Order: sequence, then structure tokens, then C-alpha cells
Amino acid sequence: MQRKHITGLICLAVALVIMVITGRNFLSLKDLGTIVPGPGVTEKKMLSAYFDGIEGTNMDTEVYVMEGSSPGGKVLILGGTHGNEPSGYMSAITFIENATVESGTVYVIPYTNHSGMTHNDPQEASPQYIHFPTENGVRTFRYGSRASNPIDQWPDPDVYVHAASGQQLSGSETRNINRAYPGRPDGTPTEQAAYAIAELVRSEDINLTFDLHEASPEYPVINATVSHEKGMSVAAEGVMELQLKGIAMSLEPSPTNLHGLTHRELGDYTNTIPLLMESANASQGRLRGATNEALALTGIDKAYVKSEALGFLYVPYDEKGHPIEERVGRHLQGIIEYTKAYSAQYADAPVTFTGVPTYDELFLSADEADLGGVQLGKYLH
Amino acid sequence: MSIELIIFLAMIVTFIAGCFALKLPVSISMVFAAVIGAIVGGYGFPLRHLVEGMFSYVDTVLVITTAMIFMKVVQESGALDALSALIIQKFRKKPALLLCLIMLVIMFPGMITGSSTAAVLSAGSIMAPILIIMGIPVVETACIIAMGGLLGMIAPPVNIPAMIIGGGIDIPFVGFEGPLVLLTFPLAFLFVLMFGYKYVKHFDYDAIAPKLNRNSIETHGIKIFIPIFVALILMVINKAVPSIPNLGMPLIFLISAVVGAFTGEKFSPVKVCTESVKSVLPVLGILMGVGMFIQIMTLTGVRGFIVTTCLSLPAGLRYLAMAVAIPLFGAVSSYGSASVLGVPFLLAFLSSNQIITASAISLIASLGDMMPPTALAGIFAAQVVGMDSYTPILKRFIVPSIIIVVWAIGFIVLSNSIAPYIVFK
Repeated sequence: MQRKHITGLICLAVALVIMVITGRNFLSLKDLGTIVPGPGVTEKKMLSAYFDGIEGTNMDTEVYVMEGSSPGGKVLILGGTHGNEPSGYMSAITFIENATVESGTVYVIPYTNHSGMTHNDPQEASPQYIHFPTENGVRTFRYGSRASNPIDQWPDPDVYVHAASGQQLSGSETRNINRAYPGRPDGTPTEQAAYAIAELVRSEDINLTFDLHEASPEYPVINATVSHEKGMSVAAEGVMELQLKGIAMSLEPSPTNLHGLTHRELGDYTNTIPLLMESANASQGRLRGATNEALALTGIDKAYVKSEALGFLYVPYDEKGHPIEERVGRHLQGIIEYTKAYSAQYADAPVTFTGVPTYDELFLSADEADLGGVQLGKYLH
Repeated sequence: MSIELIIFLAMIVTFIAGCFALKLPVSISMVFAAVIGAIVGGYGFPLRHLVEGMFSYVDTVLVITTAMIFMKVVQESGALDALSALIIQKFRKKPALLLCLIMLVIMFPGMITGSSTAAVLSAGSIMAPILIIMGIPVVETACIIAMGGLLGMIAPPVNIPAMIIGGGIDIPFVGFEGPLVLLTFPLAFLFVLMFGYKYVKHFDYDAIAPKLNRNSIETHGIKIFIPIFVALILMVINKAVPSIPNLGMPLIFLISAVVGAFTGEKFSPVKVCTESVKSVLPVLGILMGVGMFIQIMTLTGVRGFIVTTCLSLPAGLRYLAMAVAIPLFGAVSSYGSASVLGVPFLLAFLSSNQIITASAISLIASLGDMMPPTALAGIFAAQVVGMDSYTPILKRFIVPSIIIVVWAIGFIVLSNSIAPYIVFK
């Protein structure tokens, strides 16, 4: 055998070993960890119950139904629209594990883009997992991607054309579920998942929908709630309540020329009032320093402190960062206040619940040493 | 000295040592630099990150490989010679107009795909023989092709860097056509005349007519051009009729290449494919290495360090930082540069008209495709004209690059004044 053949065989063998090791690691990302349903969960079903086109695919995802003892309105909470925005899905999971609904029904989808939770974006160096110490041991959750897994939807076109409006975006947005609403039954897997959610909203006649997000600190729409025009009165009342509790929150109208997002399309194509909330997540920003689990959980980052001093940020940033408890606390307090505002304005269809940890419990009253995962872990079972 | 700077220097020193002291290929040197960066940063041997970083370029690798196969097929089938003869004969009396038309043809695939590589390897490779036959030296020919690729990528209707930059702050891709037309077409005509006119102004058709190879068109007739038309139609049809599924560039090139096997001179498909893959393999390796390099930069905080350092310069110097940093970072990828640096710079210039600013930044980002070590447009332009090295092309690109940067910054500075006249939503 010639020397070049031996070299070639060695290279192939090394490539095979690397492929097996990293392939196994990649496949293991499909395990999103376990959600422990709290006392308020009355039913668990799959999103495919509303559109069977996604049944058996990686787009299908769990829907937790929390029905109160009294009749009332209906609320939908969407976590995990973007898998690299952990406070979105951790807020949904904390709600599932703690809330008890008294009147009305709350539907919670912790991983709205299930596929997006099963991979990480190349060149972003995101952590694969985030961990929380709890009374029953350490709980592990995934840190995912903004977009669906290319294993499920590939290749991207050069340009993504939003079907309902004709709006053009870069091709990578094809796999972003929050550019796919109201979705299409015969569209891409991401559009089908968006369609399934729109179908859920329509068939269950959801009154109020929350879409929980995070944004990089240099993004102008941050610490904000974006509302469709028909939700402005509810949102305005909720924002005032949040501000009275010391939570900086701005109210942004949903742009009419930006399509595919929940706050625009679910408002236009269904009867629900859609609200989208953003908190500050350093681990998805372009100005961030070292990218790791600690950054995702604490937000402590000297690069962002420097950027704050330079005036590039839209949120205050200091050495304490923005821990996961603060970000989840903002979302949960937002859900509490906006739902209260809705129930006050639509008294014939109220939604009330108890047991959801507040911003004060999660963040303000917490021991500083517990911020960055320990405090939130106290509410995970 | 910050830890990020130490890591960055360790990566750069390793890369340079690998390339020049150990004489390793650029791709392998980048892998070593990435590994050293991770070790210095305290992340050990990050196998997962090395593999994950590479995956950024899967689509690019497929486009490059299939485009090269298409190019070889067009060449081997005789279509290239036939087209050269035809175009030169038709436009022989108006060389300046011919040059401008050739520039538009080179730009066209970039305009509809947003990829300079696609433009250089498809239309660029088809137009190269025409320019050379007309008397333009190979280096200038390569410059015209590379520039056509760059400006085609930025010209409307499809400009991926502008979409990425706009998407970073949720600006829909609406109203960009006017600024992009003004940013690209004047420069395209300027550069093609700058590089080529002095060689063609005394164009003597009778002298070169005997050199033109008409055998293939005389033997096979018009059907020899079918693969080119197939590629063109498949690229355009999805844009004209969005309901038709997008085939993607790799499949378009492959289908066209298969068609080319039946429309002209006979050739060995296995040989064509083998030669094509061999010729692009070093570039594909560089892309893989770059993917690892940038992933480790992100992991260790070096990427953020570079971005914040650029932005922290005083306002006046920020233009200079943008002019230098965005093309430099484009060595990784012009799309990557648009995302990592383009968005923060757009935010830094938020008081300017956002559509014009994003368009202008995308023009600067296009220069990244001429930046070593990837320099996709430069490398492939050199390949299609048969040059061994792309260094002479880079040297001739210095003045045009400065013109591009000044032109783009001019648009940003004047954006608020000119916006009412050129931005139509």
C-alpha cells in the first residue's frame, strides 16, 4: 500500500471518530429535559391536535392546559419561540410548574419552536445546556437556536418571502417561526408549526396571547411590550401597573409593515389580543464577551458594561448583569398584570390564577448570591 | 492587556506560524489557531465547537462545488467559445458599450442570488474569454469579474448583507432598491471602464476574428447555449413566480450541468467532476477553518472585544473603523461581517437614514469577499482566467476599494438629505 493511501486512511479514520463523537452529541440535543406539571395542569396534549400536518415531526410540541374551576376567558402563553432566549421558555415552564388557575383556562406551550430547541447556531458558540439546582437535584434544560433545526428544514432560500404579505427577508429567516405567522398548512415545517398555533388560537378562541422573548441589550426594542393595536388598552393598563411595581417597561405599537410576527399576524388573522414581551439577554448579543452558560444565566459581562459606558445600549448595564431571575420575573409579572388588566376590561371572560412567582419573589427579595439560577431553581420541582 | 487580546494574539501568531514557518495549508493553520485560542481561553480542546463552526459554510461549499462543475461543463461543451464569438461579433463597433453590457451580465447572477461566488463562477467564467480575446490582460479581466461579482451581490433585487443588517433591527427589505441602484451601477460602469477601456478603445475585430472558435456553434447550433439558458431560467423563475419552489443554487447548477452533457461537445463527466472538486478543495478547506476560527473567537469573547473596540472609537473615527473592520472581518465571510459588525455600526449611525445606511454598509461588507485568506471573489476570478495567484488582483483592487468605501460613506453622511429622493417605500 502506498504512503498516500495510508495517510488517506488515517485521515478517514480520524474523521469517522470525530463524526461519531460529535454526531452522538448532536443527537443528544433532542432531549429537552423534563417538565414537572404543577397542580394547575389539567391536561397535556400535542400541538398536532390542532393541525395534524405536524404530527410525528420535530415541529410538534407539548401544550399544557390549565383549566380553572370557574369558567372564564382563555390565555395562551408561548415560550421558546426562540430557543436562544432562555427566559422565554423558563418563564413558561415556571408557570406550568407553579400556577393554579381559578377562572378561565390557560394554555402554555413551553417550546413553541420545538425544532429550534434541538440544535445550536454555528459560529454563535452558545452553551448547549443551562442548569438549575432544585430541591430534587439539578435540573437541566436546553439552550437552543433562534431558528428551526436545518435537519428538519433545509436548505434556506436566498430570500425568504413571507407568504401572506410578500415581505422579503434574508433567507435564514425562513426558519424563524416568529416571521412565519399566520403560517400555511402546505408551507415549510416552520410555517406549518405557525399555522398549528394559529389554529389553536382560532379553535380554542384564545382571548389573550403572550409571546415571551429576549433581545440583545443593544437592540432598541427591549424591556418592552409590543402590542397589536387592538390590545393597546390592555397593554397600557398593564404597563402602568408594572411601572408602579418598579419594572421599567415601555409599550411599543406593533409595526404594520413588519410581517410574520405574533403581535402583527395573530392580531390580524385571529380574534386574540397578542402581546410580545422582551427582556435583556446578553448571551444573544453581538457585543458580548465570552459565551457560556454563566453569561446566559447571570448576564454578567464586562463587554456589555463597556458598551453601556459608550452609550450603545438600550438597557442599563452594570457589573451585576441581568440574571435569569430578573428576566423571568419580568415576564411572569407581565403575564400577571396584563391578565389582570384584560380581566378587568373584559369582565365577562376573566382569567385568574395564583401561585405564579412574582418579580419581587424571584428577583428583588432574592439573596444576591442566589441570582443566576439558584433562586429560580427554588420554583422548579 | 485583556485576556481577549491575549487570546486573539495567540490565534494570530499560531496562524502566521502555521502558514509561513511550518508551511501548512491556510485551512490547517486556521484549525490550529482555533485550537490554540480555545486552550489559551481555558476551554480545552473544544471538538464540538470546531465541528459546529464548520457547519456555517455547508451551503456555501455546495454552491461553490456545483458552480465549478457547471463552469467546467460550459467550458468543455464548447458553449463558452461559441458565446464569446457571438457577442464579440455583435458588439464589435461599440467597445465601451460592450464592456458595460459584459459588466451587467457578470453582475446578473449576483443580483438574483446575492452571491458573488455564483456571479464569478457562472457569468464571470463565461465572460472572461470575451474580455481576454478583446485584448484585456488576464489580471484586469479577473478584476472586472471579481468587481462584477461584488457589485452584483449588492445590487438589487437581492442583497443578502443588507437583509441581514436590516433584519438585525427589524427593518423589512423594502425601499432598498433606489439606494442600492445608485450605490452599485455607477461604480460598476466606472470600474469596468477603468480596468478595460484603454485596452479595447482601438479594438480591431478583423485582427482577432480568426482566433474566435466557431466550431462548436457551427456543429451544434443554438442548442449549445441551452445549459446557460436553463441556469438562467431556474435562477429567475422562482423570483418571478414565488409559488414555484426554490430549487437552490446547488441544484440549479447541477441540473444545468447535466443538461450541458447533451447539448455540445462530448466530455467525461467523471473527469469534469473530479477536476472541479480538486480545484475548489483548498477554498473549501479554508472555509471550514474559518468556521472554526470564528466560533472560537465567539466562544472566548474575542469577537465581542473586536466589535466593541471598533465602536468605542470617537464618532469621526468610527467611519474609518467601519471602513477597515467590516472588510477585514469579511475575510471570514461578508455575510458574517454584515451580521457581526454591520448591525452594530448601523445602530451606531442610527440618526442617519437606516435604509441608506444599511445599503451603504452592505456595499462595504462586499469588500470582504476580496479579503484574504478566503477572498472568494478574488480566488475564483483568478481561477477562471487561469492565474495561479490572486495577489495581483488584490493589488489592483486597492484604489477601487477606497473609491467604494468613500462612495458608501458619502451616502451615509448625506443619507438624511438624499433619502426623500431615493428611498421609495
